[in-house]
Amino acid sequence: MSRYPKILVIDDEPQIHRFLRAALEAAGFEPLRAETGAEGLREIARAAPAAVVLDLGLPDMDGKSVLTRAREFYQDPIIILSARDRETEKIEALDLGANDYVEKPFGVGELLARLRAALRQRSHAAKPPPPIIRASGLVIDFPRRLVTRANQPVHLSPKEYDLLAKLAQNAGKVMQHRELLLSVWGPAHVEDTQYLRVFIGQLRQKIEPDPSQPRLIVTEPGVGYRFMADEAEP
Amino acid sequence: MTPEEPRRPDPDALLAATRAGQGRLKVFLGMSPGVGKTYEMLRAARRRKAEGGDVVVGVVETHGRKETQSLLRGLDVMPRKPIEYRGRALMEFDLDAALARKPELLLVDEYAHSNAPGSRHPKRWQDVEELLAAGIDVWTTLNVQHLESLLEVVWKITGVRQRETVPDSALSRADEIELIDITPSELRERMAEGKVYMKDTARVAADRFFKVENLTALRELALRRAAQTVDDQLIGAMKRAGVEGPWAAGERILVLVGPDPMASALVRAGRRLSDMMMDAPWTVANVERPNATAPSAGDAQRLRDAMKLATQLGGQTVTLTGDDLVASVIDFARRNNVTQIVVGRRERRGLRLRRDLIGALLQEAGGAALHVITESAETPAPELRTRPSLRDLPWRGHLGAFGTVAVAASVAWLIDQYVESANLAMVFMLSVLVSGIAFGLWPAVLAAGASAVAYNFFFLEPKLTMRIGHPADVLTFAVFFAVALTTGWLTGRVRDQARSTSRRASAIAAVLAATRRLSGSTGAEEAARALAEQLAAATGARAIVLGPYDGDLKIMAATPALTTLPPGDMAAARWCWEKGEATGHGTGTMPMAAWTFRPLQGVKTRSGVVGVEPSAIATEEGERFVSALLDQGAVALERAEFATVAAGAEALRRTDQLRSALLNSVSHDLRTPLSTVLGAATTVIDYGDSISKEVRDDLMISIREEAERLNRYVGNLLDVTRLEGGGLNIRNDWVDVRDVLVAAAERVSRRLGKRHIQRDFPNELALVRLDPNLLEQAVVNILENAIAYSPDDTAIELAAYEDRNNIVISIEDEGKGIPTAELARVFEKFHRMQEPSDRNERGKGVGLGLSISKGFIEAMGGRIAAASPIHGDRGTRVLISLPKAPRAPESPA
Repeated sequence: MSRYPKILVIDDEPQIHRFLRAALEAAGFEPLRAETGAEGLREIARAAPAAVVLDLGLPDMDGKSVLTRAREFYQDPIIILSARDRETEKIEALDLGANDYVEKPFGVGELLARLRAALRQRSHAAKPPPPIIRASGLVIDFPRRLVTRANQPVHLSPKEYDLLAKLAQNAGKVMQHRELLLSVWGPAHVEDTQYLRVFIGQLRQKIEPDPSQPRLIVTEPGVGYRFMADEAEP
Repeated sequence: MTPEEPRRPDPDALLAATRAGQGRLKVFLGMSPGVGKTYEMLRAARRRKAEGGDVVVGVVETHGRKETQSLLRGLDVMPRKPIEYRGRALMEFDLDAALARKPELLLVDEYAHSNAPGSRHPKRWQDVEELLAAGIDVWTTLNVQHLESLLEVVWKITGVRQRETVPDSALSRADEIELIDITPSELRERMAEGKVYMKDTARVAADRFFKVENLTALRELALRRAAQTVDDQLIGAMKRAGVEGPWAAGERILVLVGPDPMASALVRAGRRLSDMMMDAPWTVANVERPNATAPSAGDAQRLRDAMKLATQLGGQTVTLTGDDLVASVIDFARRNNVTQIVVGRRERRGLRLRRDLIGALLQEAGGAALHVITESAETPAPELRTRPSLRDLPWRGHLGAFGTVAVAASVAWLIDQYVESANLAMVFMLSVLVSGIAFGLWPAVLAAGASAVAYNFFFLEPKLTMRIGHPADVLTFAVFFAVALTTGWLTGRVRDQARSTSRRASAIAAVLAATRRLSGSTGAEEAARALAEQLAAATGARAIVLGPYDGDLKIMAATPALTTLPPGDMAAARWCWEKGEATGHGTGTMPMAAWTFRPLQGVKTRSGVVGVEPSAIATEEGERFVSALLDQGAVALERAEFATVAAGAEALRRTDQLRSALLNSVSHDLRTPLSTVLGAATTVIDYGDSISKEVRDDLMISIREEAERLNRYVGNLLDVTRLEGGGLNIRNDWVDVRDVLVAAAERVSRRLGKRHIQRDFPNELALVRLDPNLLEQAVVNILENAIAYSPDDTAIELAAYEDRNNIVISIEDEGKGIPTAELARVFEKFHRMQEPSDRNERGKGVGLGLSISKGFIEAMGGRIAAASPIHGDRGTRVLISLPKAPRAPESPA
């Protein structure tokens, strides 16, 4: 058994495998390859990879049903490759248990970053969440409910803090509108995305170095938001 | 035949339906050799076999055609039996072996084949008959020219007399006919491409035979024959269901003959009419009156001759008899869906009974047209008569009654001196009876009165006075008058009732005919026209149909034609349209208008307004008929409107489909190569230092490949846009097609993988004038398609050859072929087959390549076609044929 984490790529395009193999190997993973949904499911069961990269457009079966069936026995990260114009498809995939998605066409750096974030999340899930999260000079101290930027305390309303905490605890992962609304405002407000827009705007004013170019809370159009923490943490 | 009596199924039809235990016969019918009957039959047989059917090939002539031969592979082919004939062994179909083997389905090619002398049956169709009787299903093939009844027609068309024939009954007993139809020009092309096998000796004759005009005529015959069989089957079904005719189908002719000198002329007229109607089926009926006096020996002979002539000329014969001759004729016509009736009329020795037949037919023939042939006419072109309005003017009957009484009085005057005056009363009584029968109720009453006056005036003493001398004569006169009046009254009433019954019957027939026409109409215009014509015919006055148009009413149809209405009438029509009630003449609203307007109320909507001019005949039946017509017309118009809306929606849906296909294509086919380019490039940028040189080079190559793929795709999109938008710029030049093919092969060489292109060019090839760039692109697209769909280690054959008129390019692959269902669609835009066999090529086709090839080739005056499978069940061949002299007008064949 290799000591490198195995990453299974399920895609019917040989050209995608061609460069992903090179990139994954260079990044310290062991790439595995499957070209159909059925083959992919077999590989997941057989090799138990650390994570799966799944293209939604497969020749033999719908990528979403691959996802559903994989989730019956496989709990590690699954990252979806999807087209930009298919928001509903992305949301469905996330609802079905995908950890994240990358839009085609994509740069290798982006995919690998998502992959690492997902893997990290996986390893965190076993442990309690870290008490302190740092991101571009922003420090969130959960035990003390204290947020500081450049060592200056940031004053947040309770809802703002809850929202930021939810995003930061899932740093690197896309959080869907519904998820955020449910956890911060409760089940009665899952459709009220305007709340989110307002509070995210306020949060950005308070924590972003340049609110017009947000880098801490990134918008994922049509899907949700993503908190970008510093990656260096082991 | 009372209308109330429910129709019972025709016993003959029921009998035919119970032809149990027999095999089913299917005939693959074509216009001429080479259309692909055997090929189609074998393909169908393979399908049947694949479905698990017990299929055996009894005999199949492949004529050395490769495709046909390859279809035989895997089928159970029976060995043929050698039959010794003049020292040669002729290999014939082995009937006994087939009967012994008793498969579910047997293929017996060439229905018209003549067996070698010494076989059990002289003709193959007789073999087939035996097979069917044994319960074996048989499929066979037939060219329409071999049909016995068409020999003459075919001979006239082609100048070739067929020796091998099949009687028509052998075709009509087929349970199913599949017409194998290609256009004459396609056939000629196939011949030119050498796909139709022919011995060299036969070539000269064949060239004469395969002229486009000949083929067109033969094709029409084949189409008609196939349609006619469908008609026959339809009629069979209708008869079994007990539905009364006539049903809209092909033309059917009925010729009525009797024992008289006209019989043969009538038969010939029927044959000519049949010719005029492209060989419509025709029947000659000998109409016999059970109580008629026996015809003279000469007339009987003439009738027999006429019936024989009818058989010789290809007509069917039948004898119709019955107490009510007219009823039996009409009944036969309805049951057999007769549309044309030919009947004779003799001018001089006017047989009154025959004239009655014509009159009755005119009234009752329903939808059928009546052709009356007169004896005097030299070679009478059948004269088409529509139903005339034989409406007697009212005073004519009364005048007739007076005339009859006058005749009676004269007769009585002549015999007065020989008989008693009381007996003369009987002569007058006769005149009353005749008046009643001939002219109806009131003329009969008039005749009774006139007779009484004349009897008294001329024959009762004192004569020439109205006084009565003898008291006994008073009684005679009173009794006479009472009896005459009663008799006249009764006969007149009986006659009038008979008349009105027949009128009702004809009204019902007219409603049926109108319904059929209306329901057969395909568009609003046609329905409106039919409605106007039927209304005009029914009322004997002008009729008009108006429909909504742009917020107002417009004239949709009028009989006779009419483009505008006076403002007053138009206002009445509008009122009728808006309120949905009758307006105009004879109604409470705008009674000054010249027309009566009535709304056309459909099931859901008001579909228009009809106007009828006040008519001379305003009977109750006429009114009922008009109401029925209006109902039918409204529904027909409404339906036509729905159909139009549906058609528009369909067109929109197709546009939408195309647009979404384009969007899908752009989304998928642009993004996939872009993903590779971006992914590979970022890999090199991010990890360039940590990957080996080989891997880096490989990534760079993939970037180049995908960029090329993108370029091709964009090029295709541009080509399609140019083809669609008419921006195609054709730069013609004299071109050696071989050069273009070499260049095209070169362009795809890098994408061949483990396949190879096998070139097969002749040493000499005529130059053609066309745009080399377009041709190259067309060929490249086809080659790329061939590559995408054929597995590794196979050859793609690229060949060129020439025939008399064309340069032909052939591109063959050994891929898995194209399913028949898709064959017709491969040249459509965005049509893509399910899965290319090569994974590396999956998704690279956009479904544009072949449509572009077709567009380019056709823009240069060439033709493109695909055939598949070509090797067994695999392989596809695309043929491009380019005219040698492009732009030259089509040379007369």
